[in-house]
Amino acid sequence: MGTGRTLALGAGVIAVATAYWALSGAAATWQYYLTVDECMDQAARIVGSRLRIHGTVGPETLEIDRNQQLARFVLTGERECVQVICTGTLPDNLAEGMEVVVEGYLERRDLVRGHKVMTKCASKYAAQGRT
Amino acid sequence: MILLGHVFLLIALIAAGYASFTSFAGAQAFRSGKSTATVPSVVAAVLALTVVLVVLSAALLTQDFRFAYVAEYASGELPWHYALSALWVGQAGSLLLWTWLSGLVALAYLIHARHDAAAMRLRTTGVLMAYVCLLTAIMVFAADPTRASLTASAEGIGLSPLLLHPAMLIHPPIIFLGYAAWGVPCALALVALADPRGKADWLPRARAWTLLAWVVLGLGIILGGHWAYQELGWGGYWAWDPVENGSLIPWLTGTALVHCLMAWQYRGMLKRLTLGLAIATFTLCNLATFLTRSGMFSSLHAFSRSPVGWAFLATTMCLSIAGAGAIASRWAQFRPERAIGSLWSREALVVLASCGLVLLSCVTLVGTFMAPLSGLLGGHTVVVGPAYFNNVLTPIGLLLLCTSGATPLLRWGRAPSRRQVRLLAVSLCAGLAAALAAGLSGERNSVVLTVLGCAAFAASALGAAVWLDARRHGAPLPAAFAAVVRLRRPQYAGYVMHLGFASLAVGIAGSSLGTVRDVVTIRAGESLTWSGYTVQLAAIRSYDAGERLIGDIQLDIARNGRQVATLYPAQHFHRRQNEWTTEVAVHSTWLRDVYTILHGVTDGQRAELTLVINPLVRWIWVGGWIFLLAAGVRLWPAATASRAGRLARARPKFLKHTRPNVQRRLQYK
Repeated sequence: MGTGRTLALGAGVIAVATAYWALSGAAATWQYYLTVDECMDQAARIVGSRLRIHGTVGPETLEIDRNQQLARFVLTGERECVQVICTGTLPDNLAEGMEVVVEGYLERRDLVRGHKVMTKCASKYAAQGRT
Repeated sequence: MILLGHVFLLIALIAAGYASFTSFAGAQAFRSGKSTATVPSVVAAVLALTVVLVVLSAALLTQDFRFAYVAEYASGELPWHYALSALWVGQAGSLLLWTWLSGLVALAYLIHARHDAAAMRLRTTGVLMAYVCLLTAIMVFAADPTRASLTASAEGIGLSPLLLHPAMLIHPPIIFLGYAAWGVPCALALVALADPRGKADWLPRARAWTLLAWVVLGLGIILGGHWAYQELGWGGYWAWDPVENGSLIPWLTGTALVHCLMAWQYRGMLKRLTLGLAIATFTLCNLATFLTRSGMFSSLHAFSRSPVGWAFLATTMCLSIAGAGAIASRWAQFRPERAIGSLWSREALVVLASCGLVLLSCVTLVGTFMAPLSGLLGGHTVVVGPAYFNNVLTPIGLLLLCTSGATPLLRWGRAPSRRQVRLLAVSLCAGLAAALAAGLSGERNSVVLTVLGCAAFAASALGAAVWLDARRHGAPLPAAFAAVVRLRRPQYAGYVMHLGFASLAVGIAGSSLGTVRDVVTIRAGESLTWSGYTVQLAAIRSYDAGERLIGDIQLDIARNGRQVATLYPAQHFHRRQNEWTTEVAVHSTWLRDVYTILHGVTDGQRAELTLVINPLVRWIWVGGWIFLLAAGVRLWPAATASRAGRLARARPKFLKHTRPNVQRRLQYK
């Protein structure tokens, strides 16, 4: 077998191995990415599933216990809302009225148990309505 | 001032468009010996953009709240340097900075390439100025940085406290400079594709600009990681966030491009891949901008919803289609001139490494776009976690580390000589010895051991290559070292960059796989033993610092009975923004960082905090410094006429000890 073919074979092996590693990583870590409304529409089907849910922290619903690293709030969408209890390191700028993405799982139809909250980055490019 | 900004923005738009037109027209005119108006129009566009930039900067520094942008991002409380940094915090300001940098890059290219063929120089400038014109048009029609505020206000909203960090003063401009610089290799590749003769005279110019863009973007990414590590307070520096990935992907394809350009220049190979990578890298920079500015991705960095992002998606698609079409239409013209010399030649490793880098880029791209892709293909929108990326990064990273380590002892077009094979074996033994030593000292993670072994292999291979060159030189060793390093400065700078990569890999492996993390509660005056350290809570304090209310604790950190650091993790309350920030405190050594995060204090007596041991993190930042220094050495202009004369006179003195065939080898670059 010529050098070029051997190298092509090696590159092919690397490509196949990469695809396998990527697929196994995806299979182990995939989770739904839903808005609050989508989550509530599909709640019966996805209870217990891992998910990232995107919504707005409802007004006058945020309770933060920084000592316990615990946050409770209602995440609102356009039509629906869901209670969130989140533990773990909380972002400093978590506040009511802020768009957030909560990573966790749907414990029951009306409760998301989160372990990570991602907020709008401080640095970037004004959100809708600000410009 | 607002009117001045408006007028000069329009002048910049017209001048950039005219510069692009005159560049292309000038390329035709040069064939018939006519002159061109390219240089004045490029200068005019850059000057007009400079005026707009100065106007906005002055408005930020003087808190001129008549500007809507100033009212949104400045405040009277900001120190001047952070007030100026508001320039690149918002959509319109950052676009202005990027446009200005793109104009400067076009001008710098025009000066740098003044001795190149006129047609190539002018066409490339035409492409670059067309891009500047596009960016300026986006500002004029969708994100005007000089827009007047609709309401009169005496004070602005100001910056988020998280941005008040030195890294944020330079991280965004460096990223934008990197994006702007990637435009040159892309423009050169497009011009090369348009040339029916398919000449390779663009390669030296493309190599210099590719390396510059690669180092600048890499440095920007590392600085962003450093900011996240110090300021975001979660203990890490990389979260596989879509926007982070957006800048990483072009850096990965750019790394492949740096090496493919060499394969083309020295062996006439990988031409289509090189052209494709040059266009793809700049295209991916536009895609990264789409990620940040479209509002499509909910990431740590980007929540905006604006039409600006979609303009960049359109640019991405146009560049992709144009690039793919041009390469397909010239497919036969860019066939390789030579076959791969040996499986153990440099070009073979370049092929393998490029394959790994392109695959890694593809995997990262798919992971980043998983949500819209899965929505389109499967109906359910899903995303993937860090394990998806890490699963691929680890083996490909190890492949890259091995290939980059072996490079100094391999040759273009041929298998290594017997002496090189012996030195490769010695370097391999050094790598095994390092891994064994780390294993004996308690490290049990196989990936960390492999990375350490590969890094030691890379370092010893570099040392062996320098030693071999010096031996071939024949002069006494110190003089021979100096001579070969001087003669082969660009080549050695490249090898040193491989060492920087090894340092980066050691840092990433150590900090990813060896982290220890615990949440603890300590009473004032008490101490606890944790991961070999004694942590004592010496004091709890709270005090008023004007705009901020600060609560911090004093932690005395001791190891083996000896105090090694006093740390002050804190929580700041920013009155203006009504926002808390966590200020971490880090004790950094070459082996590990002790990273402390204060969550709060209860009853004035008990502090709740997270303690993290992050092994080898410092090596990541060291890797960044090595990249920077090596790139500086590599890009430093070649000998001036007078120095070249001195070198030429000195050369026979060194080379008189050297055998003729060795003289040829020393000069083969």
